[in-house]
Amino acid sequence: MTTTAPASVHVFVPTGSGLSFPGLLRSEWIKLRSVRSTIWSYATVVLISFGMALLMSVSIDFGGSPVPADAQATLLAQAATFGVFFGQLVVAVLGVLAISGEYSTGMIRSSLTAAPRRLPMLAAKAVVLFVCTFVVGLVTTVGSYLVAASVLGGKGVSASLTDPDLLLPLLGGALYLALVAVFALGVGAMLRSSAGGIAAALGILLLLPIMLAMIPAEWAAESLPYLISTAGLAMFGLEQFGPSEFEAWQNLLIVLGWVAVSLAGAAVLLRRRDA
Amino acid sequence: MIHAESLTKRYGSKTAVDAVDFTVQPGRVTGFLGPNGAGKSTTMRMIVGLDRPSHGSVTVNGKQYREHKAPLREVGVLLDAKAIHTGRSAYNHLLAMAATHSIPASRVKEVIELTGLESVARKRVGGFSLGMGQRLGIAAALLGDPATLILDEPVNGLDPEGVQWVRHLVRNLAAEGRTILLSSHLMSEMAVTADHLIVLGRGKVIADAPVAELIGAANQNTVRVRTPYAAELSALFQRADVTVTGTGIDQLVISGITAAEIGNQAARAGIALHELTPISASLEEAYMALTQNDVEYRTGGTPGDPAAEHAAAMTASDLQGSVR
Repeated sequence: MTTTAPASVHVFVPTGSGLSFPGLLRSEWIKLRSVRSTIWSYATVVLISFGMALLMSVSIDFGGSPVPADAQATLLAQAATFGVFFGQLVVAVLGVLAISGEYSTGMIRSSLTAAPRRLPMLAAKAVVLFVCTFVVGLVTTVGSYLVAASVLGGKGVSASLTDPDLLLPLLGGALYLALVAVFALGVGAMLRSSAGGIAAALGILLLLPIMLAMIPAEWAAESLPYLISTAGLAMFGLEQFGPSEFEAWQNLLIVLGWVAVSLAGAAVLLRRRDA
Repeated sequence: MIHAESLTKRYGSKTAVDAVDFTVQPGRVTGFLGPNGAGKSTTMRMIVGLDRPSHGSVTVNGKQYREHKAPLREVGVLLDAKAIHTGRSAYNHLLAMAATHSIPASRVKEVIELTGLESVARKRVGGFSLGMGQRLGIAAALLGDPATLILDEPVNGLDPEGVQWVRHLVRNLAAEGRTILLSSHLMSEMAVTADHLIVLGRGKVIADAPVAELIGAANQNTVRVRTPYAAELSALFQRADVTVTGTGIDQLVISGITAAEIGNQAARAGIALHELTPISASLEEAYMALTQNDVEYRTGGTPGDPAAEHAAAMTASDLQGSVR
Protein backbone atom coordinates (compact mmCIF):
# COMPACT_ATOMS: atom_id res chain seq x y z
CA MET A 1 0.00 0.00 0.00
CA THR A 2 1.35 3.38 -0.91
CA THR A 3 0.49 6.12 1.49
CA THR A 4 0.69 9.02 -0.90
CA ALA A 5 0.32 9.25 -4.63
CA PRO A 6 3.61 9.71 -6.41
CA ALA A 7 4.36 13.35 -7.16
CA SER A 8 4.05 12.85 -10.91
CA VAL A 9 1.66 10.05 -11.80
CA HIS A 10 1.09 9.36 -15.44
CA VAL A 11 -2.59 9.87 -16.04
CA PHE A 12 -4.50 7.29 -18.07
CA VAL A 13 -6.00 8.84 -21.19
CA PRO A 14 -9.03 7.06 -22.64
CA THR A 15 -9.12 6.29 -26.35
CA GLY A 16 -11.61 4.84 -28.80
CA SER A 17 -14.97 5.52 -30.33
CA GLY A 18 -17.49 7.78 -28.63
CA LEU A 19 -21.21 8.01 -28.06
CA SER A 20 -23.22 8.44 -31.27
CA PHE A 21 -26.86 8.36 -32.34
CA PRO A 22 -26.35 5.39 -34.71
CA GLY A 23 -24.73 3.65 -31.74
CA LEU A 24 -27.78 4.41 -29.61
CA LEU A 25 -30.06 3.08 -32.36
CA ARG A 26 -28.06 -0.16 -32.44
CA SER A 27 -28.16 -0.36 -28.66
CA GLU A 28 -31.94 0.10 -28.54
CA TRP A 29 -32.37 -2.49 -31.28
CA ILE A 30 -30.34 -5.00 -29.25
CA LYS A 31 -32.39 -4.14 -26.16
CA LEU A 32 -35.71 -4.54 -27.97
CA ARG A 33 -34.89 -7.87 -29.59
CA SER A 34 -33.25 -9.40 -26.52
CA VAL A 35 -36.25 -9.50 -24.20
CA ARG A 36 -38.96 -12.10 -24.51
CA SER A 37 -41.88 -9.68 -24.15
CA THR A 38 -41.04 -8.18 -27.56
CA ILE A 39 -41.12 -11.54 -29.34
CA TRP A 40 -44.34 -12.55 -27.61
CA SER A 41 -46.05 -9.22 -28.26
CA TYR A 42 -45.23 -9.13 -31.95
CA ALA A 43 -46.16 -12.79 -32.43
CA THR A 44 -49.48 -12.10 -30.72
CA VAL A 45 -50.21 -9.10 -32.96
CA VAL A 46 -49.56 -11.14 -36.12
CA LEU A 47 -51.43 -14.26 -35.04
CA ILE A 48 -54.51 -12.43 -33.72
CA SER A 49 -54.77 -10.52 -36.98
CA PHE A 50 -54.41 -13.65 -39.10
CA GLY A 51 -57.07 -15.32 -36.98
CA MET A 52 -59.43 -12.36 -37.27
CA ALA A 53 -58.98 -12.18 -41.03
CA LEU A 54 -59.70 -15.89 -41.33
CA LEU A 55 -62.74 -15.71 -39.05
CA MET A 56 -64.18 -12.72 -40.85
CA SER A 57 -63.67 -14.11 -44.35
CA VAL A 58 -65.05 -17.52 -43.47
CA SER A 59 -68.14 -16.21 -41.70
CA ILE A 60 -69.04 -13.62 -44.34
CA ASP A 61 -72.00 -14.74 -46.42
CA PHE A 62 -73.04 -12.76 -49.49
CA GLY A 63 -76.28 -14.74 -49.93
CA GLY A 64 -75.40 -15.69 -53.48
CA SER A 65 -75.41 -12.14 -54.83
CA PRO A 66 -72.02 -11.01 -56.24
CA VAL A 67 -70.05 -8.25 -54.48
CA PRO A 68 -69.79 -5.11 -56.64
CA ALA A 69 -66.31 -4.76 -58.19
CA ASP A 70 -65.60 -1.38 -56.60
CA ALA A 71 -66.40 -2.69 -53.08
CA GLN A 72 -64.17 -5.76 -53.27
CA ALA A 73 -60.90 -4.02 -52.39
CA THR A 74 -62.48 -2.27 -49.39
CA LEU A 75 -63.98 -5.52 -48.16
CA LEU A 76 -60.60 -7.25 -48.33
CA ALA A 77 -58.96 -4.28 -46.60
CA GLN A 78 -61.48 -4.48 -43.77
CA ALA A 79 -60.85 -8.18 -43.27
CA ALA A 80 -57.09 -7.62 -43.36
CA THR A 81 -57.05 -4.75 -40.85
CA PHE A 82 -59.74 -5.95 -38.45
CA GLY A 83 -57.06 -7.47 -36.20
CA VAL A 84 -55.37 -4.09 -35.79
CA PHE A 85 -58.05 -3.18 -33.25
CA PHE A 86 -56.66 -5.90 -30.96
CA GLY A 87 -53.11 -5.39 -32.13
CA GLN A 88 -53.13 -1.79 -30.92
CA LEU A 89 -53.67 -2.98 -27.35
CA VAL A 90 -50.73 -5.39 -27.56
CA VAL A 91 -48.28 -2.89 -29.07
CA ALA A 92 -49.39 -0.34 -26.47
CA VAL A 93 -48.32 -2.75 -23.74
CA LEU A 94 -45.05 -3.34 -25.58
CA GLY A 95 -44.43 0.39 -25.93
CA VAL A 96 -44.97 0.99 -22.21
CA LEU A 97 -42.77 -1.97 -21.25
CA ALA A 98 -39.95 -0.78 -23.52
CA ILE A 99 -39.25 1.98 -20.99
CA SER A 100 -41.08 1.00 -17.79
CA GLY A 101 -39.18 -2.30 -17.82
CA GLU A 102 -36.00 -0.26 -17.56
CA TYR A 103 -37.33 1.67 -14.59
CA SER A 104 -38.63 -1.38 -12.73
CA THR A 105 -35.34 -3.27 -13.12
CA GLY A 106 -33.00 -0.31 -12.64
CA MET A 107 -31.68 -0.70 -16.20
CA ILE A 108 -32.54 2.96 -16.82
CA ARG A 109 -29.52 3.97 -14.70
CA SER A 110 -27.23 1.97 -16.99
CA SER A 111 -28.92 3.44 -20.06
CA LEU A 112 -28.62 7.01 -18.80
CA THR A 113 -25.00 6.70 -17.73
CA ALA A 114 -24.25 5.53 -21.28
CA ALA A 115 -26.30 8.42 -22.70
CA PRO A 116 -26.19 11.14 -20.05
CA ARG A 117 -27.89 13.70 -22.26
CA ARG A 118 -30.90 11.41 -22.02
CA LEU A 119 -33.04 12.72 -24.90
CA PRO A 120 -31.05 10.94 -27.62
CA MET A 121 -31.73 7.69 -25.73
CA LEU A 122 -35.49 8.37 -25.77
CA ALA A 123 -35.34 9.38 -29.43
CA ALA A 124 -33.42 6.22 -30.37
CA LYS A 125 -35.91 4.11 -28.45
CA ALA A 126 -38.82 5.78 -30.25
CA VAL A 127 -37.24 5.35 -33.70
CA VAL A 128 -36.40 1.67 -33.15
CA LEU A 129 -39.82 0.93 -31.69
CA PHE A 130 -41.52 2.76 -34.57
CA VAL A 131 -39.56 1.01 -37.32
CA CYS A 132 -39.85 -2.47 -35.77
CA THR A 133 -43.57 -2.10 -35.09
CA PHE A 134 -44.19 -0.71 -38.57
CA VAL A 135 -42.44 -3.69 -40.16
CA VAL A 136 -44.34 -6.12 -37.94
CA GLY A 137 -47.51 -4.15 -38.75
CA LEU A 138 -46.90 -4.57 -42.48
CA VAL A 139 -46.31 -8.30 -42.04
CA THR A 140 -49.55 -8.35 -40.05
CA THR A 141 -51.79 -6.49 -42.48
CA VAL A 142 -50.32 -7.87 -45.72
CA GLY A 143 -50.29 -11.39 -44.26
CA SER A 144 -53.88 -10.97 -43.10
CA TYR A 145 -54.80 -9.80 -46.57
CA LEU A 146 -53.29 -12.98 -48.02
CA VAL A 147 -55.26 -15.06 -45.50
CA ALA A 148 -58.48 -13.21 -46.29
CA ALA A 149 -57.86 -13.29 -50.05
CA SER A 150 -57.33 -17.04 -50.04
CA VAL A 151 -60.75 -17.55 -48.46
CA LEU A 152 -62.69 -14.73 -50.12
CA GLY A 153 -61.24 -15.58 -53.55
CA GLY A 154 -63.47 -18.63 -53.47
CA LYS A 155 -66.46 -16.33 -52.84
CA GLY A 156 -65.69 -14.18 -55.86
CA VAL A 157 -63.95 -11.35 -54.00
CA SER A 158 -60.47 -10.30 -55.09
CA ALA A 159 -58.31 -7.23 -55.42
CA SER A 160 -54.78 -6.42 -56.45
CA LEU A 161 -52.27 -5.17 -53.84
CA THR A 162 -51.65 -2.20 -56.11
CA ASP A 163 -55.25 -1.06 -55.71
CA PRO A 164 -55.07 2.08 -53.49
CA ASP A 165 -58.36 1.09 -51.82
CA LEU A 166 -56.54 -1.97 -50.52
CA LEU A 167 -52.93 -0.83 -50.24
CA LEU A 168 -53.55 2.40 -48.34
CA PRO A 169 -55.56 0.77 -45.53
CA LEU A 170 -52.89 -1.96 -45.21
CA LEU A 171 -50.18 0.71 -44.89
CA GLY A 172 -52.41 2.81 -42.62
CA GLY A 173 -53.00 -0.13 -40.27
CA ALA A 174 -49.28 -0.77 -39.96
CA LEU A 175 -48.54 2.93 -39.48
CA TYR A 176 -51.19 3.22 -36.78
CA LEU A 177 -49.73 0.26 -34.86
CA ALA A 178 -46.27 1.83 -34.99
CA LEU A 179 -47.58 5.20 -33.79
CA VAL A 180 -49.56 3.63 -30.94
CA ALA A 181 -46.37 1.88 -29.75
CA VAL A 182 -44.49 5.19 -29.71
CA PHE A 183 -47.42 6.95 -28.00
CA ALA A 184 -47.38 4.26 -25.29
CA LEU A 185 -43.60 4.63 -24.96
CA GLY A 186 -44.15 8.26 -24.03
CA VAL A 187 -46.85 7.32 -21.53
CA GLY A 188 -44.56 4.69 -19.98
CA ALA A 189 -41.70 7.19 -19.77
CA MET A 190 -43.91 9.72 -18.01
CA LEU A 191 -45.38 7.26 -15.49
CA ARG A 192 -42.23 5.09 -15.08
CA SER A 193 -44.30 2.14 -13.94
CA SER A 194 -45.42 -0.88 -15.94
CA ALA A 195 -48.80 -1.24 -14.25
CA GLY A 196 -49.57 2.47 -14.30
CA GLY A 197 -48.33 2.94 -17.85
CA ILE A 198 -50.28 0.00 -19.25
CA ALA A 199 -53.44 1.07 -17.43
CA ALA A 200 -53.11 4.63 -18.71
CA ALA A 201 -52.30 3.66 -22.30
CA LEU A 202 -55.09 1.09 -22.55
CA GLY A 203 -57.44 3.47 -20.79
CA ILE A 204 -56.83 6.15 -23.39
CA LEU A 205 -57.07 3.72 -26.32
CA LEU A 206 -59.98 1.63 -25.17
CA LEU A 207 -61.93 3.12 -22.28
CA LEU A 208 -61.85 6.80 -23.16
CA PRO A 209 -63.83 6.40 -26.43
CA ILE A 210 -66.40 4.18 -24.71
CA MET A 211 -66.80 6.62 -21.83
CA LEU A 212 -67.16 9.61 -24.13
CA ALA A 213 -69.69 7.75 -26.26
CA MET A 214 -71.76 7.07 -23.15
CA ILE A 215 -71.79 10.65 -21.89
CA PRO A 216 -74.99 12.27 -23.23
CA ALA A 217 -73.43 15.67 -23.81
CA GLU A 218 -72.62 17.49 -26.99
CA TRP A 219 -68.98 18.13 -26.09
CA ALA A 220 -68.45 14.43 -25.53
CA ALA A 221 -69.79 13.53 -28.93
CA GLU A 222 -67.82 16.34 -30.53
CA SER A 223 -64.53 15.35 -28.97
CA LEU A 224 -64.92 11.68 -29.83
CA PRO A 225 -63.36 11.91 -33.34
CA TYR A 226 -60.29 13.58 -31.88
CA LEU A 227 -59.31 10.61 -29.71
CA ILE A 228 -56.20 8.73 -30.77
CA SER A 229 -57.92 5.41 -31.27
CA THR A 230 -61.03 6.81 -32.97
CA ALA A 231 -58.95 8.82 -35.42
CA GLY A 232 -56.32 6.11 -35.81
CA LEU A 233 -58.71 3.29 -36.57
CA ALA A 234 -60.66 5.53 -38.96
CA MET A 235 -57.40 6.11 -40.82
CA PHE A 236 -57.81 2.70 -42.45
CA GLY A 237 -61.59 2.44 -42.42
CA LEU A 238 -62.27 0.90 -39.03
CA GLU A 239 -64.94 3.29 -37.84
CA GLN A 240 -66.17 2.48 -34.37
CA PHE A 241 -68.68 5.25 -33.93
CA GLY A 242 -70.12 5.87 -37.36
CA PRO A 243 -68.43 7.29 -40.43
CA SER A 244 -65.45 9.52 -39.74
CA GLU A 245 -65.88 13.18 -40.59
CA PHE A 246 -62.18 13.47 -41.48
CA GLU A 247 -60.01 12.44 -44.39
CA ALA A 248 -57.39 9.78 -43.72
CA TRP A 249 -54.59 12.37 -43.64
CA GLN A 250 -56.51 14.47 -41.11
CA ASN A 251 -56.93 11.44 -38.89
CA LEU A 252 -53.22 10.79 -39.24
CA LEU A 253 -52.51 14.34 -38.08
CA ILE A 254 -54.69 13.79 -35.01
CA VAL A 255 -52.78 10.60 -34.14
CA LEU A 256 -49.47 12.38 -34.71
CA GLY A 257 -50.65 15.11 -32.35
CA TRP A 258 -51.24 12.56 -29.57
CA VAL A 259 -47.85 10.99 -30.19
CA ALA A 260 -46.14 14.40 -30.14
CA VAL A 261 -47.77 15.40 -26.86
CA SER A 262 -46.87 12.07 -25.27
CA LEU A 263 -43.24 12.23 -26.41
CA ALA A 264 -42.88 15.89 -25.46
CA GLY A 265 -44.18 15.16 -21.95
CA ALA A 266 -41.81 12.23 -21.68
CA ALA A 267 -38.87 14.32 -22.88
CA VAL A 268 -39.51 17.15 -20.44
CA LEU A 269 -39.87 14.81 -17.48
CA LEU A 270 -36.91 12.64 -18.49
CA ARG A 271 -34.71 15.71 -18.64
CA ARG A 272 -35.93 17.14 -15.38
CA ARG A 273 -36.25 14.17 -13.04
CA ASP A 274 -33.53 12.27 -11.22
CA ALA A 275 -33.16 8.77 -12.56
CA MET B 1 -9.80 13.23 -11.56
CA ILE B 2 -13.14 13.94 -9.92
CA HIS B 3 -13.67 17.36 -8.46
CA ALA B 4 -16.70 18.36 -6.36
CA GLU B 5 -17.40 21.93 -5.34
CA SER B 6 -19.98 22.73 -2.67
CA LEU B 7 -21.92 19.79 -4.07
CA THR B 8 -25.36 19.70 -2.46
CA LYS B 9 -28.40 17.48 -2.85
CA ARG B 10 -31.65 18.14 -1.04
CA TYR B 11 -34.71 15.93 -1.11
CA GLY B 12 -37.48 18.15 0.20
CA SER B 13 -36.38 19.33 3.62
CA LYS B 14 -33.77 16.61 3.97
CA THR B 15 -30.22 17.41 2.91
CA ALA B 16 -28.54 14.22 1.69
CA VAL B 17 -25.29 15.86 0.58
CA ASP B 18 -24.37 19.14 2.20
CA ALA B 19 -21.95 21.47 0.38
CA VAL B 20 -19.31 18.82 -0.11
CA ASP B 21 -15.87 19.66 -1.53
CA PHE B 22 -13.38 16.99 -2.50
CA THR B 23 -10.97 15.94 -5.20
CA VAL B 24 -10.32 12.35 -6.21
CA GLN B 25 -6.84 12.10 -7.71
CA PRO B 26 -5.72 9.71 -10.44
CA GLY B 27 -3.12 7.03 -9.80
CA ARG B 28 -4.42 5.87 -6.47
CA VAL B 29 -7.41 4.14 -4.95
CA THR B 30 -9.66 6.52 -3.06
CA GLY B 31 -12.05 4.97 -0.57
CA PHE B 32 -15.42 6.52 0.05
CA LEU B 33 -16.54 5.75 3.57
CA GLY B 34 -19.52 6.63 5.67
CA PRO B 35 -22.44 5.18 7.57
CA ASN B 36 -25.70 4.37 5.82
CA GLY B 37 -27.43 7.53 4.67
CA ALA B 38 -24.22 9.56 4.76
CA GLY B 39 -24.67 10.52 1.11
CA LYS B 40 -22.09 8.29 -0.59
CA SER B 41 -24.42 6.81 -3.20
CA THR B 42 -26.15 10.13 -3.85
CA THR B 43 -22.75 11.74 -4.44
CA MET B 44 -21.77 8.97 -6.85
CA ARG B 45 -25.06 9.33 -8.71
CA MET B 46 -24.49 13.07 -9.05
CA ILE B 47 -21.00 12.46 -10.46
CA VAL B 48 -22.48 10.55 -13.42
CA GLY B 49 -25.44 12.88 -13.84
CA LEU B 50 -28.21 10.56 -12.68
CA ASP B 51 -29.17 12.98 -9.92
CA ARG B 52 -29.06 16.71 -10.47
CA PRO B 53 -27.25 18.64 -7.73
CA SER B 54 -29.44 21.13 -5.83
CA HIS B 55 -26.40 23.35 -5.65
CA GLY B 56 -22.73 23.25 -6.56
CA SER B 57 -21.13 21.08 -9.18
CA VAL B 58 -19.03 18.04 -9.79
CA THR B 59 -16.73 17.47 -12.76
CA VAL B 60 -14.84 14.51 -14.14
CA ASN B 61 -11.56 15.44 -15.81
CA GLY B 62 -12.58 19.06 -15.96
CA LYS B 63 -16.03 18.60 -17.50
CA GLN B 64 -19.45 17.69 -16.29
CA TYR B 65 -20.05 14.01 -17.03
CA ARG B 66 -22.75 14.74 -19.58
CA GLU B 67 -20.48 17.06 -21.55
CA HIS B 68 -18.07 14.25 -22.45
CA LYS B 69 -18.20 12.88 -26.00
CA ALA B 70 -17.54 9.34 -24.83
CA PRO B 71 -18.99 9.09 -21.30
CA LEU B 72 -18.42 5.34 -20.93
CA ARG B 73 -14.75 5.74 -21.83
CA GLU B 74 -14.42 8.59 -19.33
CA VAL B 75 -16.17 6.93 -16.39
CA GLY B 76 -17.10 3.33 -15.69
CA VAL B 77 -19.63 3.07 -12.93
CA LEU B 78 -21.10 0.33 -10.78
CA LEU B 79 -23.92 1.93 -8.82
CA ASP B 80 -25.71 -1.13 -7.55
CA ALA B 81 -26.16 -4.68 -8.75
CA LYS B 82 -29.69 -3.92 -9.83
CA ALA B 83 -29.09 -1.60 -12.77
CA ILE B 84 -29.66 -4.36 -15.29
CA HIS B 85 -32.81 -5.60 -17.04
CA THR B 86 -33.57 -8.98 -15.50
CA GLY B 87 -35.10 -10.37 -18.69
CA ARG B 88 -31.97 -9.96 -20.77
CA SER B 89 -28.87 -12.16 -20.90
CA ALA B 90 -25.61 -10.83 -19.49
CA TYR B 91 -24.07 -10.93 -22.95
CA ASN B 92 -26.90 -8.94 -24.53
CA HIS B 93 -26.84 -6.41 -21.70
CA LEU B 94 -23.16 -5.76 -22.26
CA LEU B 95 -23.63 -5.78 -26.04
CA ALA B 96 -26.38 -3.13 -25.79
CA MET B 97 -24.25 -0.98 -23.49
CA ALA B 98 -21.24 -1.38 -25.79
CA ALA B 99 -23.23 -0.49 -28.91
CA THR B 100 -23.94 3.03 -27.63
CA HIS B 101 -20.23 3.85 -27.94
CA SER B 102 -19.54 1.54 -30.91
CA ILE B 103 -17.41 -0.64 -28.64
CA PRO B 104 -16.75 -3.88 -30.55
CA ALA B 105 -18.21 -7.23 -29.48
CA SER B 106 -14.66 -8.47 -28.92
CA ARG B 107 -14.40 -6.09 -25.94
CA VAL B 108 -17.66 -7.52 -24.57
CA LYS B 109 -16.09 -11.00 -24.68
CA GLU B 110 -12.98 -9.59 -23.01
CA VAL B 111 -14.81 -8.16 -20.00
CA ILE B 112 -16.88 -11.33 -19.69
CA GLU B 113 -13.67 -13.36 -19.44
CA LEU B 114 -12.07 -10.80 -17.16
CA THR B 115 -14.96 -11.05 -14.70
CA GLY B 116 -15.29 -14.82 -14.99
CA LEU B 117 -18.82 -14.82 -16.37
CA GLU B 118 -18.23 -17.10 -19.40
CA SER B 119 -20.43 -19.90 -18.12
CA VAL B 120 -23.46 -17.69 -17.39
CA ALA B 121 -23.12 -15.00 -20.05
CA ARG B 122 -25.98 -16.38 -22.13
CA LYS B 123 -28.33 -16.81 -19.17
CA ARG B 124 -30.93 -14.26 -18.19
CA VAL B 125 -29.76 -11.86 -15.49
CA GLY B 126 -32.90 -12.45 -13.41
CA GLY B 127 -31.49 -15.77 -12.22
CA PHE B 128 -28.12 -14.36 -11.17
CA SER B 129 -26.85 -14.53 -7.59
CA LEU B 130 -25.80 -11.29 -5.91
CA GLY B 131 -22.16 -12.12 -6.58
CA MET B 132 -22.71 -12.78 -10.29
CA GLY B 133 -24.74 -9.58 -10.53
CA GLN B 134 -21.80 -7.69 -9.02
CA ARG B 135 -19.39 -9.25 -11.50
CA LEU B 136 -21.68 -8.27 -14.36
CA GLY B 137 -21.92 -4.73 -13.00
CA ILE B 138 -18.12 -4.54 -12.83
CA ALA B 139 -17.90 -5.95 -16.37
CA ALA B 140 -20.23 -3.18 -17.56
CA ALA B 141 -18.15 -0.57 -15.74
CA LEU B 142 -14.97 -1.81 -17.44
CA LEU B 143 -16.56 -1.97 -20.91
CA GLY B 144 -15.27 1.40 -22.11
CA ASP B 145 -11.77 0.86 -20.64
CA PRO B 146 -12.51 4.03 -18.66
CA ALA B 147 -10.09 6.54 -17.20
CA THR B 148 -12.18 6.80 -14.05
CA LEU B 149 -13.85 3.96 -12.21
CA ILE B 150 -16.59 4.51 -9.65
CA LEU B 151 -17.64 1.42 -7.75
CA ASP B 152 -20.36 1.50 -5.09
CA GLU B 153 -19.84 -1.42 -2.70
CA PRO B 154 -18.20 -3.63 -5.33
CA VAL B 155 -17.34 -6.48 -2.98
CA ASN B 156 -20.90 -6.77 -1.69
CA GLY B 157 -21.95 -10.38 -2.13
CA LEU B 158 -18.61 -11.55 -3.54
CA ASP B 159 -16.87 -14.63 -2.19
CA PRO B 160 -13.41 -14.18 -0.59
CA GLU B 161 -11.74 -15.00 -3.89
CA GLY B 162 -13.88 -12.39 -5.63
CA VAL B 163 -13.03 -9.81 -2.98
CA GLN B 164 -9.34 -10.40 -3.60
CA TRP B 165 -9.86 -10.21 -7.32
CA VAL B 166 -11.57 -6.79 -7.01
CA ARG B 167 -8.77 -5.59 -4.74
CA HIS B 168 -6.08 -6.54 -7.25
CA LEU B 169 -8.11 -5.19 -10.13
CA VAL B 170 -8.57 -1.71 -8.68
CA ARG B 171 -4.98 -1.53 -7.50
CA ASN B 172 -3.73 -2.45 -10.96
CA LEU B 173 -6.08 0.01 -12.64
CA ALA B 174 -4.95 2.78 -10.30
CA ALA B 175 -1.32 1.91 -11.07
CA GLU B 176 -2.12 2.55 -14.74
CA GLY B 177 -2.91 6.15 -13.83
CA ARG B 178 -6.66 5.83 -13.59
CA THR B 179 -8.86 7.50 -11.01
CA ILE B 180 -10.57 5.00 -8.71
CA LEU B 181 -13.37 5.87 -6.30
CA LEU B 182 -14.54 2.94 -4.26
CA SER B 183 -17.16 2.83 -1.57
CA SER B 184 -17.34 0.08 0.97
CA HIS B 185 -18.69 -0.42 4.43
CA LEU B 186 -15.94 -2.98 5.08
CA MET B 187 -13.24 -0.96 6.82
CA SER B 188 -10.82 -3.88 6.82
CA GLU B 189 -11.22 -4.02 3.05
CA MET B 190 -10.50 -0.32 2.72
CA ALA B 191 -7.39 -0.62 4.87
CA VAL B 192 -5.79 -3.00 2.37
CA THR B 193 -7.30 -1.61 -0.84
CA ALA B 194 -7.41 2.16 -0.56
CA ASP B 195 -4.57 4.66 -0.47
CA HIS B 196 -6.70 7.62 0.42
CA LEU B 197 -9.99 7.99 2.25
CA ILE B 198 -12.85 10.44 2.02
CA VAL B 199 -15.15 9.97 4.98
CA LEU B 200 -18.72 11.23 4.75
CA GLY B 201 -21.07 11.69 7.68
CA ARG B 202 -24.55 13.15 7.41
CA GLY B 203 -23.77 14.54 3.99
CA LYS B 204 -20.56 16.29 4.98
CA VAL B 205 -16.91 15.43 4.43
CA ILE B 206 -15.55 14.72 7.89
CA ALA B 207 -12.14 13.49 6.80
CA ASP B 208 -10.13 13.53 3.60
CA ALA B 209 -6.68 12.03 4.12
CA PRO B 210 -4.33 9.17 3.28
CA VAL B 211 -5.30 5.93 5.01
CA ALA B 212 -2.06 5.74 7.00
CA GLU B 213 -2.48 9.28 8.25
CA LEU B 214 -6.01 8.58 9.42
CA ILE B 215 -4.89 5.58 11.40
CA GLY B 216 -1.84 7.49 12.64
CA ALA B 217 -3.96 10.37 13.84
CA ALA B 218 -6.11 8.01 15.81
CA ASN B 219 -3.03 6.27 17.21
CA GLN B 220 -1.29 9.36 18.48
CA ASN B 221 -4.15 10.60 20.45
CA THR B 222 -5.28 7.67 22.52
CA VAL B 223 -3.03 6.45 25.30
CA ARG B 224 -3.48 3.84 28.02
CA VAL B 225 -1.91 4.82 31.34
CA ARG B 226 -1.45 2.73 34.46
CA THR B 227 -0.59 4.51 37.69
CA PRO B 228 -1.38 4.11 41.37
CA TYR B 229 -2.16 7.85 41.36
CA ALA B 230 -4.95 7.74 38.81
CA ALA B 231 -6.99 10.48 40.49
CA GLU B 232 -4.02 12.86 40.69
CA LEU B 233 -3.07 12.21 37.09
CA SER B 234 -6.57 12.76 35.74
CA ALA B 235 -6.71 16.03 37.70
CA LEU B 236 -3.74 17.19 35.60
CA PHE B 237 -5.75 16.89 32.41
CA GLN B 238 -8.94 18.72 33.26
CA ARG B 239 -8.85 20.47 29.90
CA ALA B 240 -11.52 20.85 27.29
CA ASP B 241 -9.44 19.20 24.57
CA VAL B 242 -8.51 16.11 26.57
CA THR B 243 -10.74 13.23 27.56
CA VAL B 244 -9.84 11.02 30.49
CA THR B 245 -11.70 7.78 31.06
CA GLY B 246 -11.11 5.48 33.99
CA THR B 247 -10.98 1.86 32.87
CA GLY B 248 -9.78 0.22 36.10
CA ILE B 249 -8.64 1.07 39.63
CA ASP B 250 -5.22 2.14 38.44
CA GLN B 251 -5.87 2.47 34.75
CA LEU B 252 -6.87 5.42 32.55
CA VAL B 253 -7.43 5.93 28.87
CA ILE B 254 -6.51 9.44 27.84
CA SER B 255 -7.25 10.82 24.44
CA GLY B 256 -6.52 14.16 22.84
CA ILE B 257 -2.91 14.29 23.92
CA THR B 258 0.23 12.37 22.99
CA ALA B 259 1.93 9.76 25.18
CA ALA B 260 5.06 11.94 25.35
CA GLU B 261 3.08 14.88 26.66
CA ILE B 262 1.42 12.74 29.34
CA GLY B 263 4.80 11.37 30.42
CA ASN B 264 6.34 14.85 30.64
CA GLN B 265 3.50 16.31 32.66
CA ALA B 266 3.40 13.32 35.00
CA ALA B 267 7.13 13.63 35.61
CA ARG B 268 6.79 17.33 36.33
CA ALA B 269 4.03 16.59 38.84
CA GLY B 270 6.05 13.75 40.37
CA ILE B 271 3.49 11.08 39.50
CA ALA B 272 4.88 7.60 38.92
CA LEU B 273 3.60 5.83 35.82
CA HIS B 274 3.57 2.03 35.56
CA GLU B 275 2.48 1.94 31.96
CA LEU B 276 2.22 4.45 29.14
CA THR B 277 0.98 2.83 25.93
CA PRO B 278 -0.30 4.55 22.80
CA ILE B 279 -3.29 2.50 21.75
CA SER B 280 -2.89 1.36 18.19
CA ALA B 281 -6.18 2.16 16.55
CA SER B 282 -7.31 0.18 13.57
CA LEU B 283 -8.83 1.98 10.62
CA GLU B 284 -12.13 0.67 11.85
CA GLU B 285 -11.69 2.41 15.18
CA ALA B 286 -10.56 5.60 13.51
CA TYR B 287 -13.64 5.43 11.35
CA MET B 288 -15.96 4.74 14.26
CA ALA B 289 -14.52 7.68 16.13
CA LEU B 290 -14.98 9.91 13.12
CA THR B 291 -18.52 8.94 12.35
CA GLN B 292 -19.88 8.24 15.78
CA ASN B 293 -21.65 11.56 15.83
CA ASP B 294 -22.72 11.39 12.23
CA VAL B 295 -24.60 8.15 12.16
CA GLU B 296 -28.10 8.72 10.96
CA TYR B 297 -29.59 5.41 11.94
CA ARG B 298 -28.11 4.58 15.32
CA THR B 299 -28.74 1.17 16.80
CA GLY B 300 -29.49 1.14 20.51
CA GLY B 301 -26.42 2.58 22.26
CA THR B 302 -26.64 5.27 24.88
CA PRO B 303 -28.50 8.20 23.42
CA GLY B 304 -28.54 11.25 25.62
CA ASP B 305 -25.31 10.41 27.42
CA PRO B 306 -23.68 13.82 27.20
CA ALA B 307 -20.27 12.60 28.34
CA ALA B 308 -20.07 9.93 25.68
CA GLU B 309 -21.35 12.28 23.00
CA HIS B 310 -18.79 14.83 24.02
CA ALA B 311 -16.01 12.29 23.96
CA ALA B 312 -16.98 11.16 20.49
CA ALA B 313 -17.19 14.72 19.26
CA MET B 314 -13.78 15.50 20.67
CA THR B 315 -12.16 12.49 19.10
CA ALA B 316 -13.73 13.26 15.78
CA SER B 317 -12.71 16.87 15.76
CA ASP B 318 -9.20 15.97 16.85
CA LEU B 319 -8.86 13.61 13.93
CA GLN B 320 -10.27 16.18 11.60
CA GLY B 321 -8.02 18.89 12.92
CA SER B 322 -4.97 16.78 12.49
CA VAL B 323 -5.64 15.50 9.03
CA ARG B 324 -7.24 18.35 7.12
